[in-house]
Amino acid sequence: MEFIVDNIDKTMEIGFNIGKLSREGDIICLIGDLGTGKTHITKGIALGLGITENITSPTFNIVNEYDGRHRLYHFDVYRVNDPDEISAIGFDEYIFGNGVSVIEWANYIEDLIPKEHIEITIDKLPEMDDNYRKIQVNFWGKRYDYIKEIKL
Amino acid sequence: MKILSLDSSSTCSTCSILEDNRLLGEIIYNDKKQHSIILLSQIDSLLENLNLDIDNIDAFVVSEGPGSFTGLRIGLATTKGLAQGLNKPIVGVSTLDCLAYNIAFFDGIICPIMDALRDNVYTSLYKFTGETLERTKDYMAIHIDELIQILKENCETKVCFVGDATSKFKEKLSKNFPNSYFAPAHLNIARASSLGQLGIKKLLNGEQDNLLTFSPIYLRKSQAEREYENKMRMVPNE
Repeated sequence: MEFIVDNIDKTMEIGFNIGKLSREGDIICLIGDLGTGKTHITKGIALGLGITENITSPTFNIVNEYDGRHRLYHFDVYRVNDPDEISAIGFDEYIFGNGVSVIEWANYIEDLIPKEHIEITIDKLPEMDDNYRKIQVNFWGKRYDYIKEIKL
Repeated sequence: MKILSLDSSSTCSTCSILEDNRLLGEIIYNDKKQHSIILLSQIDSLLENLNLDIDNIDAFVVSEGPGSFTGLRIGLATTKGLAQGLNKPIVGVSTLDCLAYNIAFFDGIICPIMDALRDNVYTSLYKFTGETLERTKDYMAIHIDELIQILKENCETKVCFVGDATSKFKEKLSKNFPNSYFAPAHLNIARASSLGQLGIKKLLNGEQDNLLTFSPIYLRKSQAEREYENKMRMVPNE
């Protein structure tokens, strides 16, 4: 599934639509360069989960937790050099726990991502405009069939 | 000698007070992981209902793992804080030993299995010789299929499984081992009283852990094993 968006609000809306349908134990991986809007997708997902708290990127603390319709575990593994490092914080207990896990820079810890997950890839489209983004949403596993309902 | 023991390595949050060979009290909650919320109040109500003060405790016993990373850290931090404040000895006991000890005097192999996620278990093998519990394998974090292989090579007659992973793998295990037994609910959890008794044995042997250097045994899978799992990935749905 692919979306072309031309502003941050639309990026957030995609996140919101996913967050509204997310269920306990969902794992959502975000892949994209700095400044593509990974955290904005996450802000949207949080809103969709009914979280009103301000979402900030957990670049330094690796994971932030929020309470909503489901708990949200927001990871940013940009600073992780070795998958072992993130294993050591009890990563599995989060992602196999009772919340929705959103993982920015998930491609850095590919080995640790379970087979079944949602993958959102964001690319800039410099040939169009600085604000344009291509957002691709793929999923592995039947539990994520709800992604097919996402519209913008 | 009065000891306070606690185990927060799994969903089960449990603490007990033993006086030599007598169990004075034990509290067990086995609902959801909320150790940081309930563990201290469990200790508090145990002491209060036994009319004891924390000063009356002579030593502390805590689960040293394996198990939930967060749970282990909560257990160790709590116990270390109490032991340091009171200047009393602390000793760690493996949760796997504790689970095996629940099945005292079973005349086959005792195999504790704790859920390590991704179809992995924390495990080891034990047997009783008289009244003594003996561990016959290293502590391991392995895939359930690997454990089945190991057991097939080592299994003489019968095997008893105990621990929180039994619920996940009972069907698979009983199919592979017709002569298998599964611990009943009241023995299927890491109990602080079981941990405490093993701790007292260690303390009487003069063993104790260094408050400053004592850290949990997390037991993690190797990078190689994770890479293998990575190869087994699926293809996208669309």
